[in-house]
Amino acid sequence: MSVLLHAIADRALADPPRGLRGAALEFVAAGPLGVWASPVEGDAATRDDAFDHHRVVEALCARQPCLPVRFGTRAADAEGARSLVSARAEELARALERVGRRRELAVTLLWLDAAARPGRGHAVEGGPPGRAFLERKRAAYEADERQRSRAEALARALEAGLSADQADVRHAFCPSPLVALSTAILAPAGEADAMKERVVRVASGLGGVRAVVSGPWPPYTFAGAT
Amino acid sequence: MNELEAEGLTLLELTDRLLHRGVVLTGEATISVAGVDLIYLGLNLVLSAVETMEQHKRKSA
Repeated sequence: MSVLLHAIADRALADPPRGLRGAALEFVAAGPLGVWASPVEGDAATRDDAFDHHRVVEALCARQPCLPVRFGTRAADAEGARSLVSARAEELARALERVGRRRELAVTLLWLDAAARPGRGHAVEGGPPGRAFLERKRAAYEADERQRSRAEALARALEAGLSADQADVRHAFCPSPLVALSTAILAPAGEADAMKERVVRVASGLGGVRAVVSGPWPPYTFAGAT
Repeated sequence: MNELEAEGLTLLELTDRLLHRGVVLTGEATISVAGVDLIYLGLNLVLSAVETMEQHKRKSA
């Protein structure tokens, strides 16, 4: 038996949600903070477990400020969980104060012209094989650079349209050939839905891409104590 | 963009957050999913998402 960790918080709840696989959720106090954890037998590893962890985190974050813990983080027992949180208590308390009440939105921008982009297998006619190989590499590199520049411009336009604080936005540029930008935006407490409407409006106005806006979710991307 | 594509993307964004983001507590904790299967789980999720989208597409065709 071990414990799977779900979220850092600063107090227990009188009536907490059910834990993983319906188990009783335990608040393991660690000084001014604590961590919500579920007892698990064997490996808590399935796809259902991942989404059940999300359900628990969602339910907790809806009721109190909290920091989601990455799925799969385990400790041998409650004492082990306590020592993990205690070791970083100050750092975690600051992160909890900054983002614990806030929600996260995800913006995915898909290239409209992804199919037209020369890929790594783009053929260059004529010349010896060695030269053709280098030409293909150069073409692919230049295409990557162009796409990256376009993605960076989209990110700037998105931030400008939202008047967002840079600390509240994280971008992943060109994470796949089809995706220009995957962005996480931290919404002010209590304003996630209104923020989402603004994000949809701004993202939909960006040229050359299609936008999908998801969330609000617990602040997974911003929970890492820094 | 149809609704199913949007659903698939939302699922992938959420999966990415569950597996790669959130507070990382090191030390005695083991950040693992069935030993070495973290990557497998991620792939499984992605494949399932695609599979589900395909099923929906077939049904709506």
